[in-house]
Amino acid sequence: MKVYLGIDVGSVTTKFALLDERDELVDTLYLRTQGKPIAMVQQGLAEIARRLPPGMEIAGVGTTGSARYLAGVIVGADLVKNEITSHAVAALHILPQVQTVVEIGGQDSKVIIIRQGVVTDFGMNTVCAAGTGSFLDHQALRLGISIEEFGPRALESRTPVRIAGRCTVFAESDMVHKQQMGHRTEDILYGLCQALVRNYLNNVALGKELLPPVVFQGGVAFNQGIVRALEESLETQVVVPPHHEVMGAIGVALLVHEEMSATGEPSRFQGFQVSQIQYHTSSFECKACPNLCEIAQLSLNGKVLARWGGRCDLWERTSTS
Amino acid sequence: MVTIGIPRALLYYQYYPMWLTFFQELGAQVVVSPPTNRATLAEGVSRAVAETCLPVKVFCGHVVSLIGACDYVFVPAIRSMAYKVHNCSKFLGLPDLTRAVVPESPPILEVEIDVDQGKRALYQAIYSLGRRFSCNPLKVKRAAQSAWQAHQDYVARMRSQGLTPLQVLEGQSIRDETRGYHLSLAVIGHPYLVYDSFVNHRLLERLDRGGVKVYTPEMVPQAGLDEAMAQIVGQAYWTYEAEVVGAGGYYLENQVAGVIGVAAFGCGPDSLMFEMVERRAKKLRGCSFMSLMLDEHTAEAGLVTRLEAFLDMIQRRRQVTACG
Repeated sequence: MKVYLGIDVGSVTTKFALLDERDELVDTLYLRTQGKPIAMVQQGLAEIARRLPPGMEIAGVGTTGSARYLAGVIVGADLVKNEITSHAVAALHILPQVQTVVEIGGQDSKVIIIRQGVVTDFGMNTVCAAGTGSFLDHQALRLGISIEEFGPRALESRTPVRIAGRCTVFAESDMVHKQQMGHRTEDILYGLCQALVRNYLNNVALGKELLPPVVFQGGVAFNQGIVRALEESLETQVVVPPHHEVMGAIGVALLVHEEMSATGEPSRFQGFQVSQIQYHTSSFECKACPNLCEIAQLSLNGKVLARWGGRCDLWERTSTS
Repeated sequence: MVTIGIPRALLYYQYYPMWLTFFQELGAQVVVSPPTNRATLAEGVSRAVAETCLPVKVFCGHVVSLIGACDYVFVPAIRSMAYKVHNCSKFLGLPDLTRAVVPESPPILEVEIDVDQGKRALYQAIYSLGRRFSCNPLKVKRAAQSAWQAHQDYVARMRSQGLTPLQVLEGQSIRDETRGYHLSLAVIGHPYLVYDSFVNHRLLERLDRGGVKVYTPEMVPQAGLDEAMAQIVGQAYWTYEAEVVGAGGYYLENQVAGVIGVAAFGCGPDSLMFEMVERRAKKLRGCSFMSLMLDEHTAEAGLVTRLEAFLDMIQRRRQVTACG
């Protein structure tokens, strides 16, 4: 049977989703990127191969996420798609009547506005990561609790404290102050949830009309505290899909299925042995012009597979020839 | 012969032919700083106060790059270009600002253009600038007239032939109309953001290579700008509001499938003007709008992702409308 693989390599986590011919989910995988996107893609592929039911053949691979081009080269992707489109497609697949997609990941957050099944607008956080998973991770660490405990503990709050969520630095000093005043940890945790949601709504979703049904996806949707804070702010129920953390991967798998059916071409998938190969990455400074770009390159057995990072396409061109 | 340096930044894209003609007619030679690169930006960022906007930082970097290449650096203070229409405070104080952050700059040749003060004041300002090159008032007058004519020709050429300032000023390849474009988009914003490919991460080139035909504010007929301005904001308040609000409003209803607004992070006027365009886009519903915020930290990845998503959005929307 033919299956389609979607890989979403984000800054914090790497996600895999395997769909069959009827777009039913066969398998998913959720790993921490740990700053090693190549190793994680390889590890994930090995795991997927081990669990792959017999008789299944990969008929298409798509990559998305901030390391989508890098991952695309390694696996031999048939489609490389940005994460906004991927998330929108996945949300529409799960809930065709969706009008708003809230996606909060490790280092970025997005809002996607959908009307009559078509994306009409979107927003993404700019330079600040204050409203994302990293922020929660960091604060949980400070409070000495694990990120898994965060949500359930936050739900126990009765009188949440108000914390400035505009900036991680301010939030942190605010939070320490509240701790010193003797507020309960639960109340501080829920205060943080509200701060994150406020920050998200005031920055990423500013000026957008967030109509129900709202689908909440991304790793942060694991946190029930955030889900509740979001529901309170939006005054509507929020749908958290069962596989919310791998929606980007599901989306790109759906897209690659669509693409392969349209073109009818064989997949460029390099095979599962990719996970055994020793890739080499390096970088150098290009001196062709005063811009001195940092060029990163990916090579295999001394042969350069791809190069990135230039402000012009000087190196990208040489790598494909 | 006296050499005047012109920084390839801020209003260069709007007025270069005018300035060039004026100085040449008065017997001076003109040099332009090289296109923005990493060193220009780094230099500007290290000198200007943190709160200054990116375009002004870039400008300071260009002034630095002119050191040793000219006798004077031309830094006009353009206060207003029309009655009751004002420019951002950074433009008003540009000569002083430049002197303060680039003390070793060649002497600054300044002129204060304030059309709001009436024609007499304007003529006087131009005359006092010209007098530094020639004491013959007629010669200065003729230079000013030719300069104005050069400006009119420049504007008319971009408008009638659908060219961008880069295509006219730097002789960049003229659009090959036979090339297959599958989509038309407009890019609006201040010329110093739209045409500085270092600052905007090669936005125009990326679009062109992606098969997108790009329209810019310079190509909009005057009547189109005026009409859209009147409809959206009534009367202009900011100088160059027409490039943003007027052009944005025009393109939302003409020729293109989407409009991309390019704004500088921390720019007050931009944040107000793009908000007007965005509201207009929401009201009209037909044409998509996206604004891209540029600052010195902007990672290319964020811009590329937004751009790809915007193009996907338009294409998928088209497919659906085509089917339904």
